Amino acid sequence: MMKSDASAGPPSPLDSARSYGRAGSSMQDFASQNPCTWCDGCGDYGIWTAARSALVDLHIWPWQVLLCYDVGCHGNMSDKIGGYRFHGLHGRVLPLAAGAALANPTIPVIAFGGDGASFSEGVGHLVHAVRSNYRFTFVMHNNANYGLTTGQASALTWQDQKMNSSPNGIPETTLNSMDFIFSLQPTFVARGWSGDIAQMSKILQAAIRHRGFAYVDMLQACPTYNKFATHEWLMQHCYDAATEGHDPKNFEKARALAVDTQNRVATGILYQTEDVPAFHERLKPREGVTTTSVQEVKIVDTSRWLKAFE
Amino acid sequence: MTRVSLKIVGAQGQGVNSVGEMCAKGLKRSGYCVFGYREYMSLIKGGHSSYQLDVSGEDVRSSAMHVDIVVTFNHHGIEKNLRDLRKGGILLHQTPQWKFKNADDQAFIKEQGIRVIELPTDAILKKLKAKSILGNVLITAVVWSLLGQPEEQLHELVREQFGHKKDLLDLNFACIAEGFAACKVIAPGTTLSLPRPDPKWKNHMLLTGSQAMGLGIIHAGCRVYAGYPMTPSSPLLTFIADMQNETGMAVKQAEDEITAAQMMVGAMHMGTRAVTATSGGGFDLMTETLSLTGITETPAVFILAQRPGPGTALPTWTAQGDLLLAVGAGHGEFARLVMAVSDAQDCFDLMPEAFNFAEEFQIPVIVLTDKQTAEALFTQPAFDQTRAKLKRGSLVTDPRELSQLKSIDRYDPAAPDGVSKRWLPGSEAATFCAQGDEHGPDGSVIEDAENARRQMEKRLKKMAALKAALPEPLYVGPKNPETLIVSWGSNRGIILDVLESEPLAKRSIGYLHYQYLWPLKTESFEMLSRTAKRTIFVECNHGGQLSSLLKLASGRDVTQKILKFDGRPFFYEELRDGLLSAPQS
Repeated sequence: MMKSDASAGPPSPLDSARSYGRAGSSMQDFASQNPCTWCDGCGDYGIWTAARSALVDLHIWPWQVLLCYDVGCHGNMSDKIGGYRFHGLHGRVLPLAAGAALANPTIPVIAFGGDGASFSEGVGHLVHAVRSNYRFTFVMHNNANYGLTTGQASALTWQDQKMNSSPNGIPETTLNSMDFIFSLQPTFVARGWSGDIAQMSKILQAAIRHRGFAYVDMLQACPTYNKFATHEWLMQHCYDAATEGHDPKNFEKARALAVDTQNRVATGILYQTEDVPAFHERLKPREGVTTTSVQEVKIVDTSRWLKAFE
Repeated sequence: MTRVSLKIVGAQGQGVNSVGEMCAKGLKRSGYCVFGYREYMSLIKGGHSSYQLDVSGEDVRSSAMHVDIVVTFNHHGIEKNLRDLRKGGILLHQTPQWKFKNADDQAFIKEQGIRVIELPTDAILKKLKAKSILGNVLITAVVWSLLGQPEEQLHELVREQFGHKKDLLDLNFACIAEGFAACKVIAPGTTLSLPRPDPKWKNHMLLTGSQAMGLGIIHAGCRVYAGYPMTPSSPLLTFIADMQNETGMAVKQAEDEITAAQMMVGAMHMGTRAVTATSGGGFDLMTETLSLTGITETPAVFILAQRPGPGTALPTWTAQGDLLLAVGAGHGEFARLVMAVSDAQDCFDLMPEAFNFAEEFQIPVIVLTDKQTAEALFTQPAFDQTRAKLKRGSLVTDPRELSQLKSIDRYDPAAPDGVSKRWLPGSEAATFCAQGDEHGPDGSVIEDAENARRQMEKRLKKMAALKAALPEPLYVGPKNPETLIVSWGSNRGIILDVLESEPLAKRSIGYLHYQYLWPLKTESFEMLSRTAKRTIFVECNHGGQLSSLLKLASGRDVTQKILKFDGRPFFYEELRDGLLSAPQS
């Protein structure tokens, strides 16, 4: 373990990218030979494109990033893109990414998951990922239903929508995901929508640069199963909050803006603070440490600790 | 081996553990081998608990059923633990004017020649104007006097603890003096003679299995620990967390066991060494993640600290009921290693092995321990720091080699023994997907039949190579024993102790001890068991789980079993008599 003076600060996820001498990466570097298998008009195409474009714009090479996928339609991106990837279990992408980010904070980690996984199966992880403020980006593919299992209702499905397995609409109340997220004191909250690739790319770049946990709600069209928040609906309702002078430093205003989707849906970076250290920065034993735990694997002589047991 | 057994009993929170630990340390420094065993209930204050020390000049690795002295903090212990005493034993209590009302108790005391001694703790502490907590030192002093041990030794121990506070230190010294003086009054001529000491024990350590395992984990180069509290894995979490400022390890108390397991896997994938630990119920929650590592071929280390089940059952007691769980946990078929520690030495030595096997074969490794190993106190020589080697298998880190890698090398089905190249995020190389779906060589999702068959064969091919790489189980005894004992885990210590006892020491008995439990090596077992007149399995579970596995792996059906499944480990007299009375054929 290498220690430097504390003022040097923890390593940044983008250090490796910056130190890389060659010209930047291109979209071609992130290309895959595998054909996409999403439905015509699926929002995943847009998010997929925005993710690659954000990485290229940040001059990150495929070997410099870890992309973690949950299970769902979005998870089928795992073999349609370049980069180191991990396609894990349903509902568990957040702790997987958290462990990876903790082990090596110099590699940008992006986790992708759906609203089904994030607000039902793995909702506990979401709570603790926000409060832990791990340094990674979470792209929440929000199509308000379980697409890959053929259109069941999620906790974010609107009321009175007939869904597979809910022929009468859902008996539960729809969860207000943004109110929930803001109640957890997040440090980065953004919202994009799958039709605006340029904006999504910009949001993702800011998220990847963010000091801690970046929550990105990506509203996405699901032409096959979501008949309520369609591409047209999203196009009509979404607007860029920055164009109306929204200040992402104002927590209360950001929360109100994010929660109120009755008439219009605000997009862009809704809230961000860099005043809160990320999880790994708050670990006392890691203060001033310039190596990552990946570099520290070696047989450790424990003699110095044995005396205490005599 | 001659042993003296001390049992300290009382309500939880009364000081049972601190008196036990103080006595253990003092006795070890006097040249004794000490084995400590704790019993306590799943509550914080009030439940009846005990700390038993078995003391000998020779190696002692087990607890006797009957003890030479019971020291009790409250009146419950007087009646509850009276029958724990052997003939001529001493009952040291602190309840003023205690009278046995029960005729059976009176008869027992008379017949067995039990000496009942009352220490007027309250009166002495009042005289010294000392708080009740100092009763711990007072009663330790009485025990010390009964054992014929020098006063100075206790001074040394309290000086270590309170040396920085002079007032408190003086009061402690006063308590020690009063304890020695009181002993002459309340127990004139009563002594409890210890066997001959051996100075070799003085430089040994006294530590629990959890502490030894924590040191083993640190030794192995593990840099990330994610856990969720659950007895009996919690003392490991506590130890690792308490050491973090020294070790620089990243320690996370996760929101649940699923998180702990996933964080471990994420950290391992990134390329560090990480571990998680839990008990049965928590392990159940981790099993989907275990299965995931089977298909993504991510090295993983799970520690499963056993306690009795099913359900919550007996949270603070011991068992070996999760062997078949470890072997069968997780959906689907995949390669894995299941191993078990048995004592402090194993806890330290086997942790680097667990990480090495996980990385060399890119498999999940489950390390079984149990409450008995996790919380027992062992007298242990300093750990050898030179034996363990860092083995990371086919991990590629060399830049030249990295630049030549192709994505399809990651899950190459033609890789020897099914172990393909592994490289880490951040390495300048072709990238791949660690894929939880069935996949082709680069991690692309492929559902065709031929690929599925080849990848399954690739992954399971590792089992043969792994089995070949594992050592044979440990064997002690004659070449062709008449009786073969087979066991695993924490039973090892007591089996070795019992086999040294008369008349078993004179018989032709061998002991085959399994550290590596799946895949199972059967060569030694088959050879020894075929010529032995009888083979006896000793296990702390209801079904004889190792015997079932060995039957599965070797085809040999051995029916004699000595099993215990009441939350307690085997005790010395109990196992000795069990072996003596086992059927002769």
